This record gives sequence, C-alpha cells and structure tokens, in this order.
Amino acid sequence: MQINFKRSLINTVLFAYTLAAVYFLTGYFMGTLPSKEHFLDIDKIKVGSLLFLVMGFVLDCGSNWSSLKTIGDQLFSKKIEFVKTASNVFWKLHIYLVLILTIIASIIVVEFSFMDLFDEYGFQGAVRLFKGIFSPNFEILPRALHAIVETIYIAFLATFIAVPIAFFFSFVGAKNVMTHPVAFAVYMTLRTFLNIVRSVEPLIWAIIFSVWVGIGPFAGMLALMLHSVASLTKQYSEIVECIDDGPVEGVKATGAGILQTIAFGIVPQIVLPYISFTIYRWDINVRMATVIGLVGGGGIGTMLIQYQGQAMWREVGCIVVVIAVVVWVLDTGSAYIREAIK
Amino acid sequence: MSEKTTHLKVKNLEKMYPNGVKALKGLSVDVYKGEFLAVIGLSGSGKSTFLRCVNRLNDPTGGEIIFEDQDIASLSGSGVRKIRGDIAMIFQKFNLVGRHTVLSNVLMGSLSRTGFFRSVMGFYKEEDKEKAVEYLKLVGLAEKTHVRADELSGGQQQRVAIARALMQQPKILLADEPVASLDPALCHTVMDYLKEINKSLGITVLCNLHHLDLVKEYSDRAIALKDGEKVFEGSPAEINDEWFKQIYGEEARRVQ
Ligand SMILES: Nc1ncnc2c1ncn2[C@@H]1O[C@H](COP(=O)(O)OP(=O)(O)OP(=O)(O)O)[C@@H](O)[C@H]1O
Ligand SMILES: [Mg+2]
Repeated sequence: MQINFKRSLINTVLFAYTLAAVYFLTGYFMGTLPSKEHFLDIDKIKVGSLLFLVMGFVLDCGSNWSSLKTIGDQLFSKKIEFVKTASNVFWKLHIYLVLILTIIASIIVVEFSFMDLFDEYGFQGAVRLFKGIFSPNFEILPRALHAIVETIYIAFLATFIAVPIAFFFSFVGAKNVMTHPVAFAVYMTLRTFLNIVRSVEPLIWAIIFSVWVGIGPFAGMLALMLHSVASLTKQYSEIVECIDDGPVEGVKATGAGILQTIAFGIVPQIVLPYISFTIYRWDINVRMATVIGLVGGGGIGTMLIQYQGQAMWREVGCIVVVIAVVVWVLDTGSAYIREAIK
Repeated sequence: MSEKTTHLKVKNLEKMYPNGVKALKGLSVDVYKGEFLAVIGLSGSGKSTFLRCVNRLNDPTGGEIIFEDQDIASLSGSGVRKIRGDIAMIFQKFNLVGRHTVLSNVLMGSLSRTGFFRSVMGFYKEEDKEKAVEYLKLVGLAEKTHVRADELSGGQQQRVAIARALMQQPKILLADEPVASLDPALCHTVMDYLKEINKSLGITVLCNLHHLDLVKEYSDRAIALKDGEKVFEGSPAEINDEWFKQIYGEEARRVQ
C-alpha cells in the first residue's frame, strides 16, 4: 500500500481524538478524572497530546497494515480497491463514533442542564426580564432615538469612508487587472493583509480602537470602517474578476490611457453590483454598529448595555423596540433597492 | 494602385504565449498604403495574434513592426497608446461598452486625444462631437445615437464599432473576423462599409477572414498563415484548389 501523507495525517488526528474523547468521557462518568488543575499544566497538556497522537499514529499504521478502510482512505485514496468485507464499513462506524463522542463531550462542556433551565429562581428572573421588555418604558424614547441616529451615522460614515478606499483596492485586488509579475506580488500582499483584517471580528477592532482613540462613536466608526474596507474590497474585486474583457480591449485599442480604460471599459460593468453591495454593507454596518456599541463603540449599543447593567428591563425593552424597527426598515429598504437596480 | 508604398513592414515577427505556444514563427510581410489586405488561415493559425501584435494588445516576443519609421514591437507605455490612436481595431465580438449610448461609444474613439477628466465628465471637444454624429450617419445609424449600445443588433453594433474606429482618425484599421458572429445576410453590409472606408478615406485595412468568398469579393491582396508561418501571399484570385489544400489542409473541402 502506498504512503499517503494526507490520509495518514487525518487518520492519526481522528484516532487520537477518538482515544482522547473515550479517555476523558470514561473518566468523567467513572469519576476517576484528576482535578482540573492537573489539566491546566502546560507540560502535562504537551505530553498528553503527544501521547494520544502517537497512539493515533500507531493505530493508523495498524489499519494500513490490516487494510482496514479508514476515513482517510475514503477521502484521499479512492483508487485503492478494497475487498468487500466488514472492514469496508469501518470508516462509517468511525465517523458515527466520532460524532457521538463529540455530541456527548459538547453537552458536558457547555454545562447543559435542564435543572438550570427550569430552576425556579432563574425562571422568575427571566419572567421579570420579559415582563419588562414587553412593557417598554417609552419615557426614554427621545434618548433612544438620539442614540439610534448616532448608530446610523456611525454606520453611514464607516461605509462612506470605506467605499472609495475599497474601490481603489478592488482593482489592486483583482487577478485579471494585476497580471504583471510585480503587480501580482502587490496583489498577493494586499489580499493577505485584507484577509487578516477581515478575519478579526469588528467587535475586536472596536475594543482595540476604544483603547486607541477612547471609548465612543469614533472608535466604533473606525472599527466598522476597517472591517468594511476589507469586506468590500473582497466583494468588489470578485466583481472585477468576473467582468467581460471585450469592452476593456475595445477601449484599450482606441489608445485610451489606463485610467480611461478603467473608467470606460471596467466601471460601466461594475457600477450596479458595486452599489448593491455598498447598500448591503451599510445595512450590515448598522446592525454591527449596534453590537459594537456594547463594547463602547457608542450609539444605541452603548445605551443598551448601560440599562442592561442596571437590570432596567423596561428601558431595555424600549431600546430593543427601536433597534428592531430601524433594522427592519433598513433591511426591507435595502433589499428593495437592491432588487430594483438588478 | 499604381505606386506601392509600404505602410507597415513586418519583419520576422514572433509571438510565444506564456504557456509556451508559439503562435507566430517569424512572420514577414509588407502591408501597402491604402490596400485591403485579407489574412486567412485555419483556426489557430495565428491570425488574431498577428493583428493583436500590430496594435500591441499582444506583446511580440521577437521581430519588428516598422510603422512611420518606428518599431511598434519595441514601444512601451505612452508610445503604445499613441500608436493605438493611429491604428484602430474592430473585433469579432464588437467589444462595445454595452451600458453606454451609441454616441458615447463612438466618442470613445477620441479618448487618446482627450484628457482623463474631460472624457470622464463627457466634455468632448465640439468638433469631436460633430465628427461622431457624422460617422454615425456614415454607417447609417443616425437615428440610434442615444440608444444604449447593448440594445442594438449584432450588425448594428459592428457598425458602431466601425464609427468608433473612424473617430480615431486612424491610418490603419485592423479587423479581426469582423463578420464572423453576424448573420450571413448582414455580413455584406458591414464588409461594404469597411470597403467604403478603405477606398474613400484611404485607410489601410488588415482584415482576418474565414470565408474565401468574402476575401475574393473585398480584398486587394491576401496572405495565408499556417501554424504561425506565412504560406501564401498574393492576389485572392490566385487561390485555386491547390493553394486551398495547402492552406487549409488535405481534408478541407471548399464550401460553394
Ligand atoms: N492568450 C493566449 N494564451 C495562450 N495561447 C494562446 C492565446 N491566444 C491564442 N493562443 C494560441 O495561439 C495560437 C494562435 O491563436 P490565434 O487566436 O492567433 O489563432 P487564429 O488564427 O486567430 O484562430 P481563430 O480563427 O480561431 O480565431 C493558437 O494555438 C492558440 O491556442
Ligand atoms: Mg482569431
């Protein structure tokens, strides 16, 4: 049997995972697990993981030697013929086992407890909260409106600043524009950088910026803007990558300069999808601005977290109503506009 | 043509694509001023590559293209753009900007002599606007001036492309299978306009063609390419069955 790195890797990891899960679950139910501190020791974690991986690898070699059809075989070495025996369904059984073990383990980890869900005291707390939320205190409506306007403007400004930057980047980030080797290097750098920016949640950016420029709307705006630049650039570039080369060549062949070629050959093809994505992004930004407010990004989110902290549920109710209405209106409106310009 | 002056001198032109395909293997040909030169050959013989090297949509990998005492093959940047202003091109797929109006598409022919901001704002020179309207009349599309280009039929779009090319005031017109995606019935209108431009305005035309009938009807001279090399050069009338077999291969049959 030939050596297949991918197959061995996935088999080793899955066997190791299965063994570790069996070990912990048995220990948990038998009550023989060592104390929690035991597992917080980094050296023990290292040794333990290594042990399981080695055992996983041994099992992988074993399965290979006994021509048991494993998950790795199924995924990566389809060409190998297996005899039609029970060993053929081993990989299916293994998948079921992994799934069941994972379900049990996750229930334990999230402390899933029906007791808590129906606990008398906790339940009453929830009832109080809902009572408050469903009888909103509209005395704070003016302040809530004020805050939601702030949120909308945060979202608007973030989008507004992000659009021209993303517009520029979208050409640099499009493979069909950056064909020259040097340009391709720039393209790769930008793509990587923006992927990193995008993979960090706006919530985290908001925390970073609220330390940098101080808690408030400005921090929230910066966080949203950064995230929007990264997301819009990706969406815009994908549009640029799908354009028809014909008109671009047609314009180029007249002797047009590079900016004219972009303005006449590319822009007319991308304008509508750009507008559509931009409106959608603003819509998303309004919702995100609310969440970002929770960590001090200003606007309605900040107001919400303040009332929540004081358990003033009727006021929270009012804010929730305001958010729901605004989000619904924007959602419907933006969907309508996007549909209309298609 | 009593006296022949060379308008474009192609010497040992070579083009190798990045994937290693050698589309042109040392092509040499003289294109005379004011002639209608047809370029024929099987699919993949390098016809498009040849025309696209002349206006540098493709970069040649060897050889020279001498035009007005300079070598097009070795130009770069603004030199290339300037030469494209003098050498217009029309394409099989018309390559108009569909969302713009017919007039706007024709005006794009003047981009090389219009500044970026003027062109983006639509402030073309008055004389250019007049010319655009005039050329639209010439190709019989005066009443379509303000219609969006993608609302026209194929034949009409190709005529807009011709007007755009004329707008450049070119000295040479390259046409890459200008009628290949048109209804045979429409193809003569477009070819007639090309011929008209060639004869009345004296613009040299290099035209890739698939149909030998069209070559015989419209061109003054023809060259044939096969695997990136010239296998025939002469008058279209000379292309008899023997030449035909040589150009298109033994199995090919003449469609009458
Ligand atoms: N962009 C490209 N990259 C790689 N190879 C190409 C490219 N364009 C053309 N070729 C190859 O170069 C050769 C010549 O192509 P070309 O398009 O010039 O032929 P053609 O005579 O115009 O054919 P057709 O009649 O089908 O238009 C072909 O073998 C083709 O596969
Ligand atoms: Mg071609």
